[in-house]
Amino acid sequence: MVMPAMSEKERRPEDDGRDFANAAWSIPSYVLAGIILYGGAGWLLSRWTGVAVFTPIGVILGVVLSIYLVYRKFGR
Amino acid sequence: MNALTVLAADEFKAPGLELFDIPPLWDGAPYWLTKPVVLAVLSSLVMVVLCWSAFSNPKLVPRGIQNVAEMGYMFVRDQIARPFLGKETDRWMGLLLSIFLLVWMWNLIGVVPFLQFPVASHIAFPIVLAASVYLLKIYLGIKHQGVIGYFKNMMFPPGLPKFIYFLLAPIEFLSNLIIAPFTHAVRLFANMFAGHMILAFFSMVGFWFLFEKLTPLGAPVGVVGVLMTIAMTGFELFIQFLQAFLFALLAAMYIGGSLHPEH
Repeated sequence: MVMPAMSEKERRPEDDGRDFANAAWSIPSYVLAGIILYGGAGWLLSRWTGVAVFTPIGVILGVVLSIYLVYRKFGR
Repeated sequence: MNALTVLAADEFKAPGLELFDIPPLWDGAPYWLTKPVVLAVLSSLVMVVLCWSAFSNPKLVPRGIQNVAEMGYMFVRDQIARPFLGKETDRWMGLLLSIFLLVWMWNLIGVVPFLQFPVASHIAFPIVLAASVYLLKIYLGIKHQGVIGYFKNMMFPPGLPKFIYFLLAPIEFLSNLIIAPFTHAVRLFANMFAGHMILAFFSMVGFWFLFEKLTPLGAPVGVVGVLMTIAMTGFELFIQFLQAFLFALLAAMYIGGSLHPEH
């Protein structure tokens, strides 16, 4: 994982280790947050409108958004 | 009393939540004075005595207790603190070593004969530790990055398309400020809780089928129970260490994240 702003020289091996550990411990809590937030919003929408399909749409949107966030923060 | 209740009393009953429902030490004792509280205080005392005897009069060439305690120190420094704190490692070693040793001792008490109760299986104890780390994390974040800077760095990581912040900032907020401290406490609690249940179950099987109701058919089941108790105790020793390690590691990660904003 090389950040675009830094050259190879400035990065030490322990930085990679830290980034990896940070990412590994953050991913579950991001995905959980995404599911709770957007799944919850979808569930509320389903209750108000009576259209059941909003709940799964919200859950999937939450997973997609949180994985996108993890990818942009720790990936590349 | 009918035949059914007689039969029910004769049957094996797996241990359940009553394992964790602990009354005060004696009749008329204050309601908070229970076994886990005594064990928690005992753990702190053991840890204080250990560190005091190891480090109060340190020798250049360590011997005896100092040698053992230095191994623990080196482990915490190299495996837990350094990867996340870098140059600031030494400032935080006191806290991280205390957290690691205290949690490990809380967990170890779960398999010490007669004491045999993992303190962290009452969720109040991990909650207090996790909440302390959580408050420290927010305090350090605000101190080193400013109130606005801290929340800006947390919720608006640079380099994303503008409109997407609207969707992602709530996820960052929920993940960092609510789910992270929650899982920090629950991970330790749930592991110790489940481990205690498993050990209690298998030792109950062994006790019931070999001592309470010894029958030719039941005896092999009892033997399996005893063997599983031994195997699971070994496994539990590993989990106890692992959970203490993870608890301190996450504390180091949260502190490190507050000192240096993620880029």
